[in-house]
Amino acid sequence: MRGRLDPLPCALLGLTLLADVAAVTLSVGLEPAYDTWLYAVWALVVSGTGALIASRHPENPIGWLFCGFALLNVLGDVAQGWGLRAAAEGWPAGPAGEWIATWSWLPSGLGWMLTFLLFPDGRLPGRRWRVVPLAGGFGMVLAIAGWSLTTERDGEFASGHNPLAVDGLPTSALMAVGMTLFLGALIASAVSLVLRLRRARGIERQQLKWFAFAAAVAAVVLPAGFFVYYETPLAGVVIALALMALPVAAGVGILRYRLYDIDLVVNRTVLYTSLTLLLAAAYVATSLVLGTALGHGSAWVTAASTLVAAAAFRPLRARLQTAVDRRFDPARAHALRQVAAFLEDLRAGRAMPESIEAVLRDVLDDPQVELRFLDPATGGYVDTLGIERANPADERRLRVPIEPMGVALCDPDRHANPAAVAEVVAAGRLAVEIARLRVELRRRLTQVEDSRARIVAAGHEERRRIERDLHDGAQQRLVSVGLALRHAQYELESAPREQVDRTLDDAVVQITAVIEELRELAHGLPPSQLDSGLAAALRELAARAPMPVEVDALDERVAPGVEAAAYFIACEGLTNVVKHARATAVSLTAVRDHGSLVVRVADDGVGGAAPADGSGLTGLADRVLAAGGTFRVDSDAGKGTTLVAELPCAS
Amino acid sequence: MRVVIAEDQALLRDGLGRLFADRGHQVVASLADAERLGTTVTAELPDLVVVDVRMPPTYTDEGARAAREIKAAHPDVGVLVLSQHIETTHAVELVALGGFGYLLKDRVLEVAEFLSAAQRVADGGSALDPQVVARLLAARTQDDPLDELTPREREVLELMAQGLTNMGIAKRLFLSERTVEAHVRHVLLKLGVPEGEDAHRRVLAVLAHVAARRA
Repeated sequence: MRGRLDPLPCALLGLTLLADVAAVTLSVGLEPAYDTWLYAVWALVVSGTGALIASRHPENPIGWLFCGFALLNVLGDVAQGWGLRAAAEGWPAGPAGEWIATWSWLPSGLGWMLTFLLFPDGRLPGRRWRVVPLAGGFGMVLAIAGWSLTTERDGEFASGHNPLAVDGLPTSALMAVGMTLFLGALIASAVSLVLRLRRARGIERQQLKWFAFAAAVAAVVLPAGFFVYYETPLAGVVIALALMALPVAAGVGILRYRLYDIDLVVNRTVLYTSLTLLLAAAYVATSLVLGTALGHGSAWVTAASTLVAAAAFRPLRARLQTAVDRRFDPARAHALRQVAAFLEDLRAGRAMPESIEAVLRDVLDDPQVELRFLDPATGGYVDTLGIERANPADERRLRVPIEPMGVALCDPDRHANPAAVAEVVAAGRLAVEIARLRVELRRRLTQVEDSRARIVAAGHEERRRIERDLHDGAQQRLVSVGLALRHAQYELESAPREQVDRTLDDAVVQITAVIEELRELAHGLPPSQLDSGLAAALRELAARAPMPVEVDALDERVAPGVEAAAYFIACEGLTNVVKHARATAVSLTAVRDHGSLVVRVADDGVGGAAPADGSGLTGLADRVLAAGGTFRVDSDAGKGTTLVAELPCAS
Repeated sequence: MRVVIAEDQALLRDGLGRLFADRGHQVVASLADAERLGTTVTAELPDLVVVDVRMPPTYTDEGARAAREIKAAHPDVGVLVLSQHIETTHAVELVALGGFGYLLKDRVLEVAEFLSAAQRVADGGSALDPQVVARLLAARTQDDPLDELTPREREVLELMAQGLTNMGIAKRLFLSERTVEAHVRHVLLKLGVPEGEDAHRRVLAVLAHVAARRA
C-alpha cells in the first residue's frame, strides 16, 4: 500500500496532532489519565485513517469525514482541557471551554451515522435514505440546543452554573425530541449497513464485512464494557480499542488491504469466542456440581474442572468449526462437502477421477474451471484428455496452483475469494492426482503404441526392401545368366568358339555379381554380425565407414535384444554421420553404466540435427523406447552431434 | 514376329532381344521404361509387346498398367507381361481379354515353350503361368466343381488355363486330339461353362470368376 499523504489530508492530520498535543497538555493531571490519553490516541487513529483514505480516494467523503470529525473531537477536547485548566489556574474564558465540552461529543455521533450510511463507496444506499442524515442533523442541532442551554447541567461547570443557560427555554423537550431523532437516525444508519451487507456481492461484500465485523465487536464490547466500567480500568482500555477498531476496519475495507483475510478473522473470532464461553461454562458447571459434592475450594474440584475443559477442547473445537463454517460461509462449506462426497464415490469406484473437473465446475459455480496437468517429461501442460495445452501462465484466468501437479484455471470475474477457491480445489487434490497419473499413463501408452506401430512399419519396409533387392537384383541377374547360357547353347551350333567363350565369360561375371549382391544383402541383417559379440560387430562397422571411427565397446556379452538394439543405433547413427554430418572423426562407445548399456555416437561435424528432419532420428528414438530406454540428441549447429541411448540391461 | 521389349534391366533386355533374334524374330524397339511404350506401340504396331511388371519410377505395377492401356488402344497387339513373382488377380483379369499373357520371368529359360507361348499371345491366344494356374486351382472352397474332375480332366483344365490349344494339350499329354476334345467337353460340362467357339477363353473367364470370389 502506498503510504504518501496528499497535502490537505496531511494538513488536517497535522492540525489534529497539534490540537491533540494542546488538549493533552491542558488536561493532563486534571482528569483520569486513560481519559486524556485514550481520546488523544483515538482521535489520531481516526484522523490518520481518514488522511490515508482521503489521499488514496479523495472522491470518497468518508476519508474527509474521518479527518473532520477527528479534528472537531480534538477541538472539543481542547475546549474541555481549557475549561479544566482555567478553573484550576484561574485563567479567563474557562466557562466557555466547559460549555463547548458539554455538547462537543454529539457531532462525533453524526460522524458515525454518516459513516454507516456512506460506507464503503461514499454514496447513500438509495435516494430515500437522504432523510436519515437530515433527521439526524436536525435532531443533533435540537439536542445540542437543549443540552447546552439548559440549567440542568450546571453541576458540570466549575462555577456551578451554565453561563449560557436560557431560562424559559423548553430545553427538556428540545433534548427529548432531538435525541429521539438523533438516535433513531443512528439506528436507521446501522440498519442501512446491515441491508447493504445482505445485498452486497464480491469485493463490496468483503469491504462491508470488515466494517460490519468491527461494528459487531463494538456492539458487544461497548455495552459490556460500560457494564463493568467501574469494576476494572481494563474496561476503559477495551472500550477504546473497540472504538479504534471501527475506523481501522473502515480504512482496511476502503483501501482494500488484506481484504480477503476478513473471512478467516470473522471465522476465528466467532470460533474462539464461542469456544472460550463454552469451555468457561463447562468449567463453571463442573466446579459447581463437584463443589456441591466435595466441598468448595477443593484442589480436586479445580483439577477435575480443568481436566473436563481440556478434554472438551479438541472435539468441541472441531464441532464448532463445522458449525461456524456452515453458518458464516455456507457456500464454501457446501462445496467442501460436495468434494468430500465425490472423493467417497471415487474410493468406492462409483466415480471416475477425471470427473473432478466437472465437480469443481459445479461446486464453484464456474463453468470455466479447467485443470491443467504438468507433464514432467516435457515441462508442458496437458488437459484432462491428455491434449497438450498452452502454458496457463499466459492466460488471463484465475490460477489456483495445485503444487506440484499443475493448476486449476477459473473465471477471474466470478470469485470474490480466491483463498476459498484454493481451499475447495485443494480438497479435491487426491482426485486431481489420480486423474493426472491416469492422463500421464494414457499419454505414455499412446507414445508407446505409436512407436510400436512405427517399428512394425519400419520392419515391414525393411522386408519390402529385402524382397525388392532379391527380386530386382539377384533373381533378375540369374535370369539373365540363364538367358546367356541359352544363347551360348544356340551359338554352339553356328558361331565361332571365341564368341561362345565370351558369352560364357559374361555369364560367369553375372554369377560373381549375384554372389556379391547376396553377401551385401546378408550383411545388413544384424544377427549374423552379432555372432561374435557387440564389440566385434561395432569394430567391423567402424572399419567400413569412410572416416576414422574410434570404438570403445564392452567385451562381455549382454542380452541379444539389447545387443541388437545397440548395433542398430550404432549403424543408424553412423549412417547419419556419413550422410549429413560432414564429420572428420567419429567416436562410437557402448559401455555399461549402472545397469544400463550406454551407446554413444559422437561426431565433430556440422551439428543441427533434429528428430523431425527425416534423418532417421525418430526411428532411432522409437527403437530405444521399445527397448525401455531413453534417447537424447545434442546437436547444436557447428558443435557436432552426439546421440546417447541408454538401454536397460540387467547384469 | 515383330517384337517390342520394355525391360529396365539392361542385361535382361539384351538377353531377351537376343532370344527373339536368335529364333528369327525381329525386335523393333527395346525400352528401359514404360513411359514411351504407348507411343512406340502406336508407331510400330508390333505383333507382340513383352513388358516387365516392375519398372521405374515406382517399381510397383507400371508394366501391368501400360499393358492394360495397350490392350485398350490396340486390342490386336499381343501383350506378354513378365513378372518376378506370382500375383493372381491382375494376371487372370487381363488374361481373360485374349491376346494376353502373364508369365514368370524365369520361363524365358525354357526357350521353346516360352516362344510358343509368345507366339500364341501374338496370334490372339493367351498364356497364363502354370504356377498362377496351380495357385488358382489349389485354393479350394466347399462345393467346388473342381472336386468332380478326374485327375486327367484336371490336367487338361490346367493346360487350357495356361492357354494351350487342344492340339498343344494333345502334344503335351501324348494323347490324340479327339481324346483331348472329349476331356474338354467333360470339363466344361462339370464347370457349367456353355460350349462355344472359344472354350479356352471361357475357362479363363470361369477361373477369373473363381479367383474374384476367393479374393
